Amino acid sequence: MELSSIKQQDNAIRFILSGVTPAFANAMRRVMIAEVPTMAIDDVIIIENTSVLFDEFLAHRFGLIPLTTDLDSYILPEKCDCNSELGCNRCRASFTMEIEAKDDMIVVYSGDLKPDNPVVTPVNNKIPIVKLAAGQKLQLEAYARLGRGQEHAKWQPVSVCTYKYLPKISIDMKKCDSCGKCVKFCPKCILEIKDKRLVVKDIEECTLCTQCIKNCPKKSCPIKVEWSEKDFIFNIESNGALPITKIVEQAAIQIGEKASELSSLMKNLE
Amino acid sequence: MIIPVRCFTCGNVIADRWEEYSNRVKGGEHPKEILDDLGISRYCCRRMFISHVDVIDDILKYYEATARKFHNV
Repeated sequence: MELSSIKQQDNAIRFILSGVTPAFANAMRRVMIAEVPTMAIDDVIIIENTSVLFDEFLAHRFGLIPLTTDLDSYILPEKCDCNSELGCNRCRASFTMEIEAKDDMIVVYSGDLKPDNPVVTPVNNKIPIVKLAAGQKLQLEAYARLGRGQEHAKWQPVSVCTYKYLPKISIDMKKCDSCGKCVKFCPKCILEIKDKRLVVKDIEECTLCTQCIKNCPKKSCPIKVEWSEKDFIFNIESNGALPITKIVEQAAIQIGEKASELSSLMKNLE
Repeated sequence: MIIPVRCFTCGNVIADRWEEYSNRVKGGEHPKEILDDLGISRYCCRRMFISHVDVIDDILKYYEATARKFHNV
């Protein structure tokens, strides 16, 4: 297994994972989407709401706010032994909000949620929740807990999480006269004519569309588009709840935990 | 009603950039340039912006009008 060509930018990462099977690459993708735990608001107790949005609408919007997740000090409610409906300090974080529009219309932002634990806060303080006209009031308590994406998409730590095979383009220079027609037809502009020879500029951008072959004027096309089934280009984007490298790390840990659980179950059978 | 917190398709948080977008559109800028500037690259997230109408502003007007009427009586 090898990691190469790592490009990280803010909340997005792109890397090539080599020497694995498609099954493993897909397992990583699915675990990142559905099984890496993150924090999200799950219970909202509305004390007063005279805004134009009804309670469920508000609760849904609160749920979708990504919260900074601390996986070391919080555990999943199903693994917690408190057995309480709203959870304990180990399995939930709480927020309060009390806001009233006095003389003018105001916008309620995610930053107006007051966290009890400053470690768990909204990733972005500028998400508008609702607008209040003068005289309208909002008072509520919100409880966040760890959860997994398979339960609800609000617990998903990633927005984009994809992989594709690493393309391989070979050009037979004996047959190619570098007419440049394929350069024009490539939708990703990855081919170019350099020193009167057709070359591949950025192989990672190739989408395997084969437009270069379809538009080649030659009877037998000198271009060959293939892909490697051992190398995968991963494209992952975090919504900020967890740092992007932590998501990949956690996904690998989750797969490992499942495997060790199975192995210990098998050991008990012996 | 009000801008959705996340993109319906990919789940990317978009609501935090709505206010800047809507102010700049009102200022006469082309939506394409604003979205490129804000880093909204995928077409699923872009349609969330270009197709959204903030109806909540109109509804608040009704609330204010009825509140005023109630106040005067």
